[in-house]
Amino acid sequence: MNDIIQVLACGLLMGLVYALIALGLTLIWGVVEIVNFSHGDFMMVAMYLVFTLYSFLHLDPLFSLPLVAVAMALIGIMVHKLLIRPVLKAPMLAQIFVTFGLMIFLRGLAQFIWGPNYKVIPNVLISGSAMIGPIYLGWPQLMAGLGAVLGTIGVIWFVHRTETGRGLRATAEDRETAGLMGIDPERMFAWTWAIGIGSLGIAGALLANFFYIFPEVGGVFGLIAFVTVALGGFGSVGGAFAAGIIIGLVQVLSGFFINPAIKDIPVYSIYLLIVILRPQGLLGKF
Amino acid sequence: MENIRKALVQSSWGYKLLALFFLSLLLYPFIITNPYWINLMITVLMFVALGQSWNWLGGYAGQISFGQAAFFGLGAYTSTVLLIRFHVNPWIGMGAGAVVAVAVAFVIGYPVFRLKGHYFAIATIALGEIVRIAFDNWKVVGGASGLELPLLRSSLLNFEFVSKVPYYYIALALALVAYGVTFWIEHSRLGYYLRAIKEDADAARSLGINLTRYKFAALMLSAMMAAIMGTFHAQYYLFIDPPSTMGLDLSILISLVAVIGGVGTFWGPLVGAFVLIPISELTRSFLGGSGQAYNLILYGGLIIAVAVLQPGGLWALFQRLGKREVSGPMPPAPKKEESHAAP
Amino acid sequence: MPLLEIKQLVKRFGGLLANDCVDMQVQKGEIVGLIGPNGAGKTTLFSVLTGFYRPEQGIVLFEGHDITGRSPEWLCHRGLARTFQVVKTLKGMTVIENVMIGAFVHTARTREARQRAEELLRFGGLHEKRHMLAGSLTIADKKRLEMLRALATEPKLLLLDEVMAGLTPVEVHEAVALVKRLRDRGISIVLVEHVMEVVMPLSDRVVVMASGRKIAEGKPAEVVRHPAVIEAYLGEKYARRQTT
Repeated sequence: MNDIIQVLACGLLMGLVYALIALGLTLIWGVVEIVNFSHGDFMMVAMYLVFTLYSFLHLDPLFSLPLVAVAMALIGIMVHKLLIRPVLKAPMLAQIFVTFGLMIFLRGLAQFIWGPNYKVIPNVLISGSAMIGPIYLGWPQLMAGLGAVLGTIGVIWFVHRTETGRGLRATAEDRETAGLMGIDPERMFAWTWAIGIGSLGIAGALLANFFYIFPEVGGVFGLIAFVTVALGGFGSVGGAFAAGIIIGLVQVLSGFFINPAIKDIPVYSIYLLIVILRPQGLLGKF
Repeated sequence: MENIRKALVQSSWGYKLLALFFLSLLLYPFIITNPYWINLMITVLMFVALGQSWNWLGGYAGQISFGQAAFFGLGAYTSTVLLIRFHVNPWIGMGAGAVVAVAVAFVIGYPVFRLKGHYFAIATIALGEIVRIAFDNWKVVGGASGLELPLLRSSLLNFEFVSKVPYYYIALALALVAYGVTFWIEHSRLGYYLRAIKEDADAARSLGINLTRYKFAALMLSAMMAAIMGTFHAQYYLFIDPPSTMGLDLSILISLVAVIGGVGTFWGPLVGAFVLIPISELTRSFLGGSGQAYNLILYGGLIIAVAVLQPGGLWALFQRLGKREVSGPMPPAPKKEESHAAP
Repeated sequence: MPLLEIKQLVKRFGGLLANDCVDMQVQKGEIVGLIGPNGAGKTTLFSVLTGFYRPEQGIVLFEGHDITGRSPEWLCHRGLARTFQVVKTLKGMTVIENVMIGAFVHTARTREARQRAEELLRFGGLHEKRHMLAGSLTIADKKRLEMLRALATEPKLLLLDEVMAGLTPVEVHEAVALVKRLRDRGISIVLVEHVMEVVMPLSDRVVVMASGRKIAEGKPAEVVRHPAVIEAYLGEKYARRQTT
């Protein structure tokens, strides 16, 4: 019994991180209507930034988190202005391959700068485990879950309570009408990319506490993010949160009851089932 | 009108160039005897065929797929398992692999095909990964350790050779088959229908075209060709495992060859394969592991450039450059406003 | 037995009742004009007839068989073809290739399809332009192309959606001649039109729709004097004036 609680707790914590990652993706999808195939790989970049700050400045991930988040937000805006804006009106093929190319490019860049080997940040401030009731949970994982929740709450608050956030929702709902009412789509897109990639900065810093860092780390996270977004509903921020937790749980339960090696198969299968049977996901836009 | 004008003007040196190119391909192993370079060309030709197979689905039918490697791997595994366990001849195994791939495409394709654009692309990634993970953990077919093909006497019947040269000619033949099928598609009803579907799906439906049926036809052909190349791969390398035959990297490379070359064009995959594969192989040989980084940066940059600047790919670029070099007077552009003439 | 029979057709879009209990018949060999002010539901009716929308209620019978809810491609094979209000030529393909697409309904062989297309282009007067890209044609030629393309599918019933819109008087004259020749080939036609000078002389019968309902039907001369029709187009004042 304790085993299952242990497993569920781990899944929950991981799921919260998935939720944060998916948040940015669903936001970009909903507002800009671009599918960001390179989403996971931006998180990889964030992790490497954290690693670099640690290597050169001995800055613990906890402290570099805000720096990396802001840096990633700026990178997000840059990506939008340089690469996404030109293809907003282009055929879908061009849009797919721009972010797809970015994915490949980022992995190559990471491998070029930092090499292909797995890296890890030793001696992080937050380490060790806590005993909560009958189970052990690593402090880094707990902080990751907590940080993810805070980050998610932050984004949801922004989207629902601020003027800009309302602008984002309006643009996601109906870009033309929002434009006619004075909401500049360009500004909204820039904000979306800033938040979307910035949140990856947070997620990356949180994961860097305990996860291996390597060029392809963004791959699986990216694909899981797609599944999460599909399950939660494209464009739905609240949906991404709920879905992230569900996916996290499904993943660990599959690993526990069937086989850890195939734990991703049920997760990917969820994507297929959802888009075929219930395309709007749980709380989706359409 | 444009196509005919171009063909007429270019036919004198265009066809000659093509003939020369084909002749050099035919004589290649006798000119360049170093096995390393023959291996390179074999890989190039494999990707010509694979790129074309992707092109049928992605370029002509408009369904972008990043799961082509799954069919490739299924073909490789089917023929290899039949060979190892039941001593089935690899050529027959090749046919069986094609059948398996088509069957899987049919069963999975049906629900997935309804998805549009991005959703379909992601679904193909998900499916490809599911297949790879499944095979990675399926002890019966070797799991992560893969399968080694038995060393048989070198012969055409056994589909195994000591020298690389026969493999080269088989690869060339398969690439020609891929091109033959492409030619047939372009000139058949299937090709016309696929173009109509891409242009305007509603208009196509009002003209009696069942969208799913014809896109499916493209999918079947695509799956078959990929599976056949999978068997070739198995017989050539005499070793298969899930990462090398079903990996996402392979699917991505196949799509890059077709898209960078020029998606939906006849010559695109050829151009793409001849440009990308040598770069990839050579950087790997001379720069080792770090060479991969250069490859990825280059491919990533190229595909972004293609997407943003020239969606027609390198082929369209060549065409534009070629037009400037054409000498002689151009025929006058066809007049547009002639509707007031009596019908 | 009428070629086409529509019984109590209802099509709703959320709160909007686009087609409200519409009844209509088309006999073989007829040209039926479908007129009415903007928003009357004419194009919606076409889209329901040709399988792009499913009606909420009602049936459509074609040659006596129930075809309600069938797909556009199925209907095309049964002999029901249409043109579109906003022209849908296959822009990236040539004129002859466009018509070939239609011809492929009855043959799988490219050579045959091309021959059929050539014949039709000659019949319809677009033969000299056959290798031009469809996207580069004038609007009149595009509409003509759409008609010929639909003709290539060998329809029994052809639904023409505003084929005269945007045409100069000379072009209208040519288009009317083409429609007449289509009828002479044995094709029944329903045409939606706003250009009155065209619909009235061309149609054997006219059906008038307004606000989703059929408000009048009959010979062109009768329909023009019908008070409901005048009211729909010009308002109550004029309708009353007519009857006093």
